[in-house]
Amino acid sequence: MYNVIQLLIRFGPHILFVAVEVLCFYLIINYNTTQKEIYLNSSQILAGKVYNTRAYLNNFFHLRAQNDSLKLENTNLIENLIVINYSLDRINEMDTIHFKYSLIPANVINKTFDKRNNYITFDQGSKTGVKPGMGVISPNKGIVGIVRNVSTHFSHVSSLLHSQTKISCSVKNRNSFGTLVWKDMDPSKMSLLGVPKHEKISEGDTVITSGYSTIFPKGILVGVIEKFEVISGENSFDITVRLFNNLRHLDYAYIIQNRFAEEQTTLEKEVEDE
Amino acid sequence: MNKLIIPNILRVTYLFLLQILVFKQIHFPLGDIGTAQFFIYPLAVFMLPVKTNKTLLIVISFILGLGMDLFYDSPGVHSATLVLTGYIRNIVIALLEPYEGYNTDDVPTIKNFGLSWFFSYSSILLFIHIFTYFSLEAFSFVFFFEIFINTILSFFISLIIIVIYQFIFRPRF
Repeated sequence: MYNVIQLLIRFGPHILFVAVEVLCFYLIINYNTTQKEIYLNSSQILAGKVYNTRAYLNNFFHLRAQNDSLKLENTNLIENLIVINYSLDRINEMDTIHFKYSLIPANVINKTFDKRNNYITFDQGSKTGVKPGMGVISPNKGIVGIVRNVSTHFSHVSSLLHSQTKISCSVKNRNSFGTLVWKDMDPSKMSLLGVPKHEKISEGDTVITSGYSTIFPKGILVGVIEKFEVISGENSFDITVRLFNNLRHLDYAYIIQNRFAEEQTTLEKEVEDE
Repeated sequence: MNKLIIPNILRVTYLFLLQILVFKQIHFPLGDIGTAQFFIYPLAVFMLPVKTNKTLLIVISFILGLGMDLFYDSPGVHSATLVLTGYIRNIVIALLEPYEGYNTDDVPTIKNFGLSWFFSYSSILLFIHIFTYFSLEAFSFVFFFEIFINTILSFFISLIIIVIYQFIFRPRF
């Protein structure tokens, strides 16, 4: 108590000054129209700025959750797109409709792109239904690779940029198809071999997956034709394809699950075995 | 000390009346920019004795400012300004302290301290006072140019009147 009184004696005038000024400002703001308006306006601007900053920071912290939800949304959209494009792939079973393809969103956790054989590791594994042999596609356009190995929580994907890559592709609106391989070490270009030379193709045509396998559905966009030439003595084109997606900047992708892959392969195997 | 009380109460009263009855009516319009006005009443605070109690100084400033606001119809503007001036007054007095220091009964006048001392003393305080007044009146530094022009012109005409006042009345207390 004594200290408080001492403090009041020492700083009394200063405290009084501040108190009186606060009182005066209260009067100014409450009883003068011009000042009141300016005060209200400025305080709103200030408050708006503070709230904006807070929202901005909050958004930053929620980025991960938002990203995940967007990814799920995208998964649904791409699934629907595949269904709409190929409505024949839909098979009615009892009352519910089972779609042939479903997607599993996955994050890249490790990748290479500058070796002869490149691999990407994703954070989804057999727990979420990933199996060897499934295709992987990019978020926007383009394909990524094929799943090789699966553990409980991870999957090892051989990238498109792999010497063993052989993916059945065709040129859009043309019937014949060829095989997509990676010949040069350029991560943005691949080669499409085996398209017969009687096909009328031109530079800028779109290359899509052909759908003649259990891995990728028909019509996934792969790239555009950059240039093409006929190999002398052969019956087909050598087409250089510029890929739509940049595998160097891949952050996440979708693993395509074909519900009827097993059925198809067993059936085909039976014929082979005979 | 006692003989200083009556003259100071009188001075506060008649400077108050002088301001609201005479100088409030005179102002020079400057077109869009504003008006140059006379500020004479701060002199009542300037001329309180040097060793006036700080608390008393703030109270007197507040009351005088509130009285001004009553007639200028601007609650709080004059009082906030004059309270600030009263608070700063002691700092300025300490800054301008002469070599011999102050006596208890000293009143800041030309007669007691000389023209140059009084001139710097009153011009510093008056400038702060007028600048604060116009800032609070505009309440936003968006109008900085107007505030500045108003302050400069009002400052000069008020300072002239204050110095003339000193020469005419030659107050000792």
